[in-house]
Amino acid sequence: MGADLRKSLKGYAFILPWLIALFVFVGYPFFAGLYFSFCDFPPMKDPMFVGLENYTNLCTDPVFRRSLGVTVIYASVAIPLGVFFALCLALLLNTRIRGLSFYRVVFYLPHLIPTVVVALLWLWIFNPRYGLLNLVLRLVTTVADAWTNVFFDLPAALVAESFVRPSVTLLLAGPLIAFLAFGPWLRMTLAESPRWRLFLRICGVITLTLSIVTTLYATLHRLLPVDMQKLHSPGWLSDGNPLPSCVPFAPSWALWGIVIMGMWGVGQMAVIYLAKLQDVPTELYEAADIDGASWWSKTRHITIPLISPVILFNVVMAIIGTFQVFAEPYIMTGGGPEDKTRFVAMFVYDQAFRYQNVGYASAIAWMLFLLIVGLTLLAFRISRKHVYYAGR
Amino acid sequence: MADAHGTTPPWYFRIPIHVFLITGSILFLLPLIWMIATSFKPLDQTLRYPDSVMNAFVGQGHRADIDGRAFDVVLERRVSPVHEHRVFIVRPSAEFAAGELALPFGKDVWDKYPVFNKQELARMNARVTPTMNALTDDRNRFDPETGVLTLCSGRTLPATLVREVLPDPEGSPLWLVREWRSSDTDTKEIGSAGGDVTRAWDVVPERLLRETVRVIPRNYPIALHRVHFLRSLRNTLFLCFMTVCGATISSLLVAYGFALMEFRGRDVLFAITLATMMIPFPVVMIPVYLLYRDLGWVGTFKPLWVGAWFGSAFFIFLLRQFLLGLPKDLLDAARIDGCSELEILWYVVVPLARPAIAMIALFTFLGTWKDFMGPLIYLNHETQFTLSLSLQAFASEHGGTPWHLLMAASTVFSLPLIVLFFFAMKTFIRGISMTGIKG
Repeated sequence: MGADLRKSLKGYAFILPWLIALFVFVGYPFFAGLYFSFCDFPPMKDPMFVGLENYTNLCTDPVFRRSLGVTVIYASVAIPLGVFFALCLALLLNTRIRGLSFYRVVFYLPHLIPTVVVALLWLWIFNPRYGLLNLVLRLVTTVADAWTNVFFDLPAALVAESFVRPSVTLLLAGPLIAFLAFGPWLRMTLAESPRWRLFLRICGVITLTLSIVTTLYATLHRLLPVDMQKLHSPGWLSDGNPLPSCVPFAPSWALWGIVIMGMWGVGQMAVIYLAKLQDVPTELYEAADIDGASWWSKTRHITIPLISPVILFNVVMAIIGTFQVFAEPYIMTGGGPEDKTRFVAMFVYDQAFRYQNVGYASAIAWMLFLLIVGLTLLAFRISRKHVYYAGR
Repeated sequence: MADAHGTTPPWYFRIPIHVFLITGSILFLLPLIWMIATSFKPLDQTLRYPDSVMNAFVGQGHRADIDGRAFDVVLERRVSPVHEHRVFIVRPSAEFAAGELALPFGKDVWDKYPVFNKQELARMNARVTPTMNALTDDRNRFDPETGVLTLCSGRTLPATLVREVLPDPEGSPLWLVREWRSSDTDTKEIGSAGGDVTRAWDVVPERLLRETVRVIPRNYPIALHRVHFLRSLRNTLFLCFMTVCGATISSLLVAYGFALMEFRGRDVLFAITLATMMIPFPVVMIPVYLLYRDLGWVGTFKPLWVGAWFGSAFFIFLLRQFLLGLPKDLLDAARIDGCSELEILWYVVVPLARPAIAMIALFTFLGTWKDFMGPLIYLNHETQFTLSLSLQAFASEHGGTPWHLLMAASTVFSLPLIVLFFFAMKTFIRGISMTGIKG
């Protein structure tokens, strides 16, 4: 017993710093915050218990409602997008190709940039008049406009022309005739060479994607001229109008800006995925190859299940992270335009340090905490069916 | 069959993958390239509508050949667009407001007399003394026969003709230019000097203008001076040193206790430790702030580093996972040899756990260097500001217009982390991988 006690004491001596931190920096503030949230706590005075008043005030506070809405919309856009992009990036990076370490460095680089620099840099990029983003958008629209003109006007012109000059009909009918004539031969040749078939399939997928995107763009361009004009050069951070204006609850341009900025830092998540991806035993793929599995079915049935714990980890981390976004909106927009980027964490900061409403701020912080805990539990709950743990 | 899982895929897969990745890399690098490009631009070029991609990234300037000498100039305005409006340099004989005149002009352009900056005049809306000359164009008219100057406000003044700017014999349009100086890039010199800013103006035919690339390394010393770089760097490095030492030492001790020692309640305590990682910062921020305020530490560096000396849940967790992987026999052998726990920690565990310790040191350094909210809450005097805070203060005090200086300071601020990353890439990647795999 004496030896056991000595051993225990020694152990406690080692973890003593953390025990102190657990009480002073975690436990005490955690419960003190809860207590303050039920108090009226004016500056330089003692807290006074007022019951649920702060919480009832919260429910009727339009600024809080707006900031909660903004945070939830941001999270519901940014988390799925981020997790998905990072996964795609990691899957692409998981192939054994040349320059892998270069790509990994490039995608991770944004994570190294200090928050203030990121905020200032993107503030400059989002500058509606002189910024990089609108410059790129202008270039893209110039190209897209030219392309949609070809896409829409050229066929129409050709059809119109074929009425006047019969030789043009041949131009239109030519490919059709050629396909009918050489189609069987082409199919035969392709059947003999799976490589060419795959190559053509990939080309086909790319062409199809491009033409779908172009058609969508062109259709939108013709149907919604006003909104599309805005798409060419939005005001970004100073622009509170949602996109497009007909959709309710659509994030404002300013919020979209912060989402785009968040996507820049997605490399961190991708590197975490990548580490797990490279742990997947190759034997599984070899076995699947013998069974003749395609790339997609291997990804779907081997890769995704095996890295699902990391997906869950990333989702949980993203939930915790996105609900605490503070520095970027604080530096970039100060909450504006019309509270469209006033995230909850910023609202807490404002209430606590600017207006000195400590009790009220604590109540908001606790609502935030409950929200994060709730969503995390939900994520775990949903994941229970889908996450595969090796060896369990 | 085609395989993109861990083996080298065939060429028809490799090419599209490379295309995607290269496009992605360019998109990811573009903001950083834009940051560096802006940091080398002159002020007038950052606030210029970029009409081409080249203009957006490279500062453009003009040189003019005046009397056989080449001058760096800034184009102010094209004058004499139409022939019927002849261009005169006149001296008004009565006072007028700066806003009434489209272009205030030097006393004697050819001798490069000092004049006020145009924007300055418009801002101050000062009364302009009649000794100042005016350049006429399609907005300010002058009739040489009657000697009447019509201002753009519609008011007429008597004025005397100084000189008529003759049209270029080859017919190229005329430009009002002013001499470009490297001091143009410092907003403080322009802003604070008030009426003392001197600038030489001239009218030059377009034929004599040549485009040049203007790269201004001088932005860097100016920017660093303006964000009080050395002072902020000293503050930041002090905090980094304290937090790195604190976090490594305390996390090592605590993780050792959790991983390699037996005591009652260990697993429960560890579970609680893990659970605390879920608590968002805003929840504990306020009471901790009040705690430090009662200790009288707000406005000092202490709140920003003292906490690190008590360990952090995440690092304890990482290090514990690492220590659990160490061979038990080695520790037992040391114990049999009569080593105390501290000796084991120092002579056995630390050498073995060096990669994990390096990782914690690196991440702590990164975190402290990048931290914004902590200094924002606890520091309130300018002399204590860290780099983050100084940069933000500089940006907000100017309403974010001196982009070239902001980007120069930002580049310098980010550079150490990028250099560190390239030197310690392995530690970084291993650290990130560990977070995911063990999590």
